[in-house]
Amino acid sequence: MDIRLLRASDIPLIQHANLENLPENYFLKYYLYHALSWPQLSYVAVDVSRPQKSPYDYPKIVGYVLAKMEEEPADGVQHGHITSLSVMRTHRRLGIAEKLMRQSQLAMVETFGAHYVSLHVRVSNKAAIHLYRDTLGFKTERTESKYYADGEDAFSMKLDLDFIREQLREEEGGGEEKEGKESEKNAGKEGEEGENGEHADEGEPVGEVGRDPAKGGKGEQKIKVKVGRGLGVGELVEKVESKHS
Amino acid sequence: MTQPSSLPPLTPQLCFSTTALRDFLRLSRSAVDDTINQNLNALETPAKAGFDPTSTARLGPRPLSHQIDAASCNAFKDKVLFPSWQVRSDLISYCSLVATSPDPDDPERALREAENEKNWERVIDERLDPYSARYFPREARTEQLAHVLRQEMGANLFRTVIRHYEDKQYKRGLKAAEQILKKNPKHGDTMSMKALILNAQGKTDEAFALAKDALTIDMKSYICWHVYGILYRANKNFDEAIKAYKFALKLEPDSHQIQRDLAVLQIQMRDYPGYIQSRLLMLKSRPQLRQNWTALAIAYHLDGNLQQAENILSTYEKSVTTTPLRTDLENSEALLYKNSIISETGDFERALEHLETDCKNCLDRLAVMELRARYLAQLGRKEDAAKAYRALLDRNAEHPDYYKGLIDALGIAADDEAALKAVYDEYAAKNPRCDAAKRLPLDFLSGDRFRTAAKAYLTLMFDKGVPSTFANLKHLYSDGFKKDTLPVLAEEYLKEHSGATDTGGQTNGDSSKGEGAALYFLAQHYNYYMSRDLSKATDFVEKAIKLDPKNVDFHMTKARIFKHQGEIAKAAEAMDHARSLDTKDRYINSKAAKYQLRNNENEKALATLGLFTRAETVGGPLADLTDMQCIWFLTEDGEAWQRRGNLGLALKRYHTVFNIFDIWQEDQFDFHSFSLRKGQIRAYVDLIRWEDRLREHPFYFRAALDAVNLYLSMHEKPQNGTNGVEGGHANGDDAAEKKKAAKKAKKEAQKAEREAAEKAAKQDPNKKSADGDEVKKKDDDPNGLKLAATADPLGDAMKFLWHLLQFSPKNIEGQIAGFEVFIRRSKYLLALRCLKAALAIDKDHPKIPEQASRLRKALDGAMSSLAPKVKEVIDSELASVPGA
Ligand SMILES: CC(C)(COP(=O)(O)OP(=O)(O)OC[C@H]1O[C@@H](n2cnc3c(N)ncnc32)[C@H](O)[C@@H]1OP(=O)(O)O)[C@@H](O)C(=O)NCCC(=O)NCCS
Repeated sequence: MDIRLLRASDIPLIQHANLENLPENYFLKYYLYHALSWPQLSYVAVDVSRPQKSPYDYPKIVGYVLAKMEEEPADGVQHGHITSLSVMRTHRRLGIAEKLMRQSQLAMVETFGAHYVSLHVRVSNKAAIHLYRDTLGFKTERTESKYYADGEDAFSMKLDLDFIREQLREEEGGGEEKEGKESEKNAGKEGEEGENGEHADEGEPVGEVGRDPAKGGKGEQKIKVKVGRGLGVGELVEKVESKHS
Repeated sequence: MTQPSSLPPLTPQLCFSTTALRDFLRLSRSAVDDTINQNLNALETPAKAGFDPTSTARLGPRPLSHQIDAASCNAFKDKVLFPSWQVRSDLISYCSLVATSPDPDDPERALREAENEKNWERVIDERLDPYSARYFPREARTEQLAHVLRQEMGANLFRTVIRHYEDKQYKRGLKAAEQILKKNPKHGDTMSMKALILNAQGKTDEAFALAKDALTIDMKSYICWHVYGILYRANKNFDEAIKAYKFALKLEPDSHQIQRDLAVLQIQMRDYPGYIQSRLLMLKSRPQLRQNWTALAIAYHLDGNLQQAENILSTYEKSVTTTPLRTDLENSEALLYKNSIISETGDFERALEHLETDCKNCLDRLAVMELRARYLAQLGRKEDAAKAYRALLDRNAEHPDYYKGLIDALGIAADDEAALKAVYDEYAAKNPRCDAAKRLPLDFLSGDRFRTAAKAYLTLMFDKGVPSTFANLKHLYSDGFKKDTLPVLAEEYLKEHSGATDTGGQTNGDSSKGEGAALYFLAQHYNYYMSRDLSKATDFVEKAIKLDPKNVDFHMTKARIFKHQGEIAKAAEAMDHARSLDTKDRYINSKAAKYQLRNNENEKALATLGLFTRAETVGGPLADLTDMQCIWFLTEDGEAWQRRGNLGLALKRYHTVFNIFDIWQEDQFDFHSFSLRKGQIRAYVDLIRWEDRLREHPFYFRAALDAVNLYLSMHEKPQNGTNGVEGGHANGDDAAEKKKAAKKAKKEAQKAEREAAEKAAKQDPNKKSADGDEVKKKDDDPNGLKLAATADPLGDAMKFLWHLLQFSPKNIEGQIAGFEVFIRRSKYLLALRCLKAALAIDKDHPKIPEQASRLRKALDGAMSSLAPKVKEVIDSELASVPGA
């Protein structure tokens, strides 16, 4: 299997894999929202060995991790969140999920200065719990009762990412002689900045795009075209007066 | 906290100095009302509430993202908001009083009276000299004041209309609009706003009619034009919307808002020159915003002008005096974007230099490393390239391209198996958990080397009990030797390990490990199309099942074997049994449903899928799967209905797939502005380029081809008034049965609909604001009866066919279907074009001579009706097609 970064053209088959594997599903637009907000964080596993069926074959996605940064961290600490992870049953236990997760975690720290990554998992999901806790080192923060639509509880889990930060610092410090000094300086700097949790997610509220369609009520899901403030009808108001005055 | 507006001393002077009054009214609004949100945000203390994991929830209701504690909220309300409103309303009532009172102190009174007298004379003059300057009587200052106040209250009402509209409080919005219109029935802007609200309520026709009225009344109002554009946009007529926006802009050239709306539509419609124009204007009006520079660069870039795109980015960079922070993501991405533009020019030397200087601290480390490795390789700097690829492999040893890059850089010959293997071995040793390093050598190794490596790999996987081993290796089967060797190795493994599980030895009682895994591998081997021997496959799978009777994978493969034996019903049953062994896994659930669909059990399949769809979705599993854009189901369901002869439902499903692609195309809309804010420009460009070829996706192709073929068969065998329920392929006894089945299906569908409606009716009305939240448009043809009743199936087929031919021209099946449609519509040139395209794809396709001779015949028959020129062209073209 090929483990690589997600591309926009992968998304229909990622959505397909999600629909095959998990009960929590999303509109294509929600995947786009991930791919265009944090393109560094989502990865796919691709079966590159399938014979071509037509000139328009799309690489078969057998696993994916869809990840994001929390936009408004309640605790004020930059952190990542796993929105969805799954592997086709025909390709499980090959280590795919683990590797997808590790790539995503690394990018969370490098690109977005994440301090930890969080996720939810069904309390009955042995395979996933094994992966998160035993293989990747997540800790269970708490149990959330009736978290899932069908009434099942969730473990809310969390993995501290400082070990990656540590690794990066070491690597940069011990890098090639040429860049040695410079990167040491930078490593220090990054540490400081990291502490402030400072980073550059400066978008205005994302509005329509950013909503998790699995959440929230039906009515919201039906909105097709963004109207209203996005169109600046609000701005029209001041104009109305100046026009008549 | 914002300060409340304070009340200025209330004097008639204040009221009469209308500028001051107006300023006060405007400020008190913009400082308090318009910023309520901001003010509330400012009250928020993020850390106070502690970490709230539900904010990251995938399911369950989303809490308000801003939790402001009640005390500060109330304080804001009591100390700022209400007092400000009070002040304003006090002032307005005071000034109203002034305006309606006698005004003996009016300083202009004498003047006005004098003027009026003069005017008396002027009227006469005017008759003689109609071109003399117009005289407008001076208004009394009380009248002026009254005007301002009326306007303020009118504007307030108009604002209220807009507010309600934005908050989707449509009924209230309409009420406010009516209030204005009662006083001033010809207020174009209000009429327009009313139209906007009507449109949001789904009353599209009424909305357009009203908006048009508004325009005829007030052609000069940019609001009317803007709204007109918005209506068109909302109804997806983007070309007309662009026109309307352009009018609005002509009337109000300084409106950023309209300019932005126009720009977004232009890029959505891929009007690059227009987009460049708009972005130029936007940049000129706000050059201080980086976004505006980036956007213009994107416009040039997409239009193919790399040079100009780069220039724009550079110009901005030069204008910045402070060094951006290293953590400035927008900056980091803009630099990498520029680098991607340079690399598109093919100048890798310069791209590398730019990357190593400007981008060396970019936050997307992976991108920097990958680009660097690629440039080095392109430039032939092998040693550095090798180093760069090694660094990438240290990050991710599961990406075959990196090995390839490293091997190329090392200059290892393709047939030097030992040297190649050594590269992979190094990484296998470094990463014991790495799969690729162990497996990829199997691709190039041959003979004994292959045998040894394959044996080691199989042993490892079987010991671990990895059920996906076969899936991971089957691509090797294109090599005959490997195809023969792998099963032998698996048998060897079996011989060495058989019985081990019985003693519970090395496998810890997990029978999917060891022997079970090897048996499973062999079952899949004999089930695979390149090495198929279904009775052997059955043998092995039964042995495996005996070892572990509850193994889902084993039963799943058993079902697949049935399928290949043509035992569709047994296959469905077996897959459902596999499903029952792990009811928590949706994958096996999906497979069971798919097999039921293949067995034409639509209802059962839907029930199976319903075990995992969201229970609260109105309309049940079908609605959920449709909402969630579950293409595979819609397609398979449609195909099954078609086999059952229910053309209506079949068409319905194919059309649903078609509509989903429309949605996907529209989905990019919001990102034109969103991505500029987020600054992830490379990802955005990737999206735009993908959207351009969206409908080449096999998902589209399959459903569209199904639809075209179904329409073709409907054309051949017109329906006999059974509401499209009887199938094109139905014949004899079959037909009666199918009719019965379809009747039953229809009944069931109606029942489901009824239930859904009841459920919807029972829903808590408080959940949605009763006041006209977006209405889910009711589907007036849920069973596709109207679709099936079409009088022009070939015309309907065109909708699907155009996209097939446009986006997948190299797919021969599309061309063949295209020919069939065109020849029936007597479009001989188009038929010929499909035929020639098919010929270019596969000259030996059996359909080609057949179609060619039919075209020839058709032409001979149509001789008289064709223009001689056309006939000549077709003749000469057709001459080169075999069979014609
Ligand atoms: C959970 C899931 C993603 C794991 O994917 P995977 O690629 O098979 O996992 P990996 O091969 O990387 O395995 C990682 C670890 O988990 C273990 N594991 C995987 N499946 C397991 C199972 N069914 N039972 C016990 N352990 C399991 C592996 O043995 C490995 O452990 P190790 O580190 O001790 O060797 C996959 O089973 C899946 O897609 N399930 C359905 C969707 C789902 O539940 N997603 C998670 C939602 S939160």
